[in-house]
Amino acid sequence: MINKNLIIIITCSLFLFSFFFNNLFAIEPGEILKDTRQEERARKISKNIRCMVCQNQSIDDSNSTLAKDLRILIRNQIIDGKKDKEIYKFLADRYGDFILLKPPIQLNTFALWFLPVIFFSIGIFIIILHNKKSK
Amino acid sequence: MKKQFFKLPAIIFLFILLVFFYLLLIDRNPSEIPSALLNKNVPEFEADSLIKDEKFISSKEFGGEIVLVNFFATWCKPCRDEHEYIKLFSKEKKIKIIGINYKDNPKKAKQWLKDLGNPYSNIVIDKKGETAINWGVYGIPETFLINSKGVIKYKHVGPITRTVYKKINSLINNIN
Repeated sequence: MINKNLIIIITCSLFLFSFFFNNLFAIEPGEILKDTRQEERARKISKNIRCMVCQNQSIDDSNSTLAKDLRILIRNQIIDGKKDKEIYKFLADRYGDFILLKPPIQLNTFALWFLPVIFFSIGIFIIILHNKKSK
Repeated sequence: MKKQFFKLPAIIFLFILLVFFYLLLIDRNPSEIPSALLNKNVPEFEADSLIKDEKFISSKEFGGEIVLVNFFATWCKPCRDEHEYIKLFSKEKKIKIIGINYKDNPKKAKQWLKDLGNPYSNIVIDKKGETAINWGVYGIPETFLINSKGVIKYKHVGPITRTVYKKINSLINNIN
């Protein structure tokens, strides 16, 4: 009986542990900037930059060497006084828009951003039309 | 008339399905990303050279002739595999090849070239991987084909195989 309880406690604490520490990130202590506001900006940008090696992770989550290089590069550019927009552009110019986890609104992403809205309106239009008819 | 209208969603749905099936069936690798640098000028940079005493200055090396740029490292096994083809480019096609030694130990790199042969006319030392980032490189080996005006015309990610060798060969014959 004691054993059973012990197992339950261990499982629960492991579960709780993973629950509270699930946002562990790949960033290493040496990389963190002293200025907390600059560091916050760097974290925000990193979360929006795709790791080109793992592709479904941001560079904030990934511990690949390229992700680390890019994290350091972003921080260096922040220290150099670059604006967020300029940093995004720097990366997109080299790796393409694919590196941005949130695709920009432009001509070739028009369908991606607006088709859902268009389809939704068509759907509502059809429902209204249908209801009117059945009345 | 009205009934016809309600067929529209079904038709659109079938069309989307068709598009998805097409993308599924054609031969493509979704994890391969087209380079943002295609049809753009070679990035300008200066760096130390592995085999020459003077600095490598990109503006002096590109333009005037077709150049193949190959990112490699001794720790990268596929780089060793493709080395035979890199040598073929220099032997058979007689084109200028520039190597970029990515995050490597210069001593090991020199030994590697001694053992396997050196097809490169010049080699850039990219110790921190900064040059690679400027070229949009995300996984070596990567190879770029640059035309005689210094414009990037083709990029291949991964080792050069027989088919890739043939493809680059035909590109060399067709670009200027």
